[in-house]
Amino acid sequence: MNKIITIILFFFITNIQAQQYLTKKAEISFFSKAPIEDISAVNTKVSAVYDDETKQLVFQLNISDFIFPKPLMQEHFNENYLESDKFPKSSFSGIVGDINENLTAKGTLKIHGVPNEVEVKGSLEKTNDSVIINATFIIKLKDYKIKIPRVVMYNIAEEIEVTIKAKLKKI
Amino acid sequence: MKRILLILLFCQATVFAQDDLLQLLGDDSNYKISSTFKGVKIVNGQSVELVSKGDLLFLIQHRFGPLNSGAYNLYGLDNSQVRFGLDYGVNDWVSVGLGRSSFLKTIDANTKIKLVGQSKGEEAFPFSLVWYSSVFFKQAIWEDMQAESYVMSDQMSYAHQFLVARKMNSNLSVQLSPTVVHKNVVTEGNAHDLFSVGLGARHKLTSRISVNAECFLQLNEDKNINPLSVGVDIETGGHVFQLHLSNSAAMFERAFIHETNGSWLDGDIYFGFNISRVFTLAK
Repeated sequence: MNKIITIILFFFITNIQAQQYLTKKAEISFFSKAPIEDISAVNTKVSAVYDDETKQLVFQLNISDFIFPKPLMQEHFNENYLESDKFPKSSFSGIVGDINENLTAKGTLKIHGVPNEVEVKGSLEKTNDSVIINATFIIKLKDYKIKIPRVVMYNIAEEIEVTIKAKLKKI
Repeated sequence: MKRILLILLFCQATVFAQDDLLQLLGDDSNYKISSTFKGVKIVNGQSVELVSKGDLLFLIQHRFGPLNSGAYNLYGLDNSQVRFGLDYGVNDWVSVGLGRSSFLKTIDANTKIKLVGQSKGEEAFPFSLVWYSSVFFKQAIWEDMQAESYVMSDQMSYAHQFLVARKMNSNLSVQLSPTVVHKNVVTEGNAHDLFSVGLGARHKLTSRISVNAECFLQLNEDKNINPLSVGVDIETGGHVFQLHLSNSAAMFERAFIHETNGSWLDGDIYFGFNISRVFTLAK
């Protein structure tokens, strides 16, 4: 019986000591260059968790937290393209590969309710009490069933560049 | 037995660890519900939508003559009334506007204040609440202007509305608009303060097209006919086109709520449209 209690305690302790890092203020921005208008937006309320033991990495954000320079763009982004009523959240859940300057995270990126397996290259820097993650990657709108009507085709690029800047604190 | 227990414990522990990672993120999301209506007007009446901060909205409203005026007037298309309006978003919750209607050559100045926005999540609120006030100044010349007792304010009237709207789901939005209109000058036996309640709704057909309907019920004085309007909103990027049919030809509150004479049943139906264009002024 004593053994069992010890083991329970052991698990309890390892659970607390698990090297987990968290932030709720990560930044994800995107940019697309198009002939008429460049489109950009930034979300500074992104949540992220990283577990250094399981190498599991999770990002989550609210679509409606993306801020655009033009309010009308923001309205159209939410109403017509990302349909944030129906699909309020976007997330990434995956595993980080070997940690060095250039790491690869493999996992599922879910945007507009459509999950896709992705492999993202970036960097992960560990200090005493935090983890800094940076990454830039390209997504294709059609992979996530984001429709662009023909009338405004020339306004919006098919490919969007996404940049992630996150500083996660140890918990 | 002990081993099995241990294995079970181990399984539980790992499962718990994975759940934990997602739980750490929490679900403290608080979304603001946006785009309850496509335009700042449902048809004639105000919607709970305000012009965004730093945006200038140019609104052209147009109403042709009645359909029952016959082929001689090309079913109303020969005649028209117009209102030009400019609305500016001072900040996220206040907008100001200026307009001029050809009906009685009326200038209107208005302000719209968003009191609360609908939201869901932790601090959820089920409605959007907006206050709207407008002053109307009639430029049209009339005989009383010759009277000695005439003062400039005789030309003025006012409208105040408390707009309550709810986006029921991504397609359907409904609105209740209790309204009071005050006229500085009335003919004998008529009330200065006129109360009414407006009902409005919009249903999205696609992400860019919706159907709208709106009516106002006059409460204390119903000598005129209640206005009923139906329309279609088409959004094309920077523009919103609203096409509609209404038994009211006027486009400001005092006139379209309380001075509608046409009846749908008699074919006094006016075809009209609103076209809005947004210009982003602030950087």
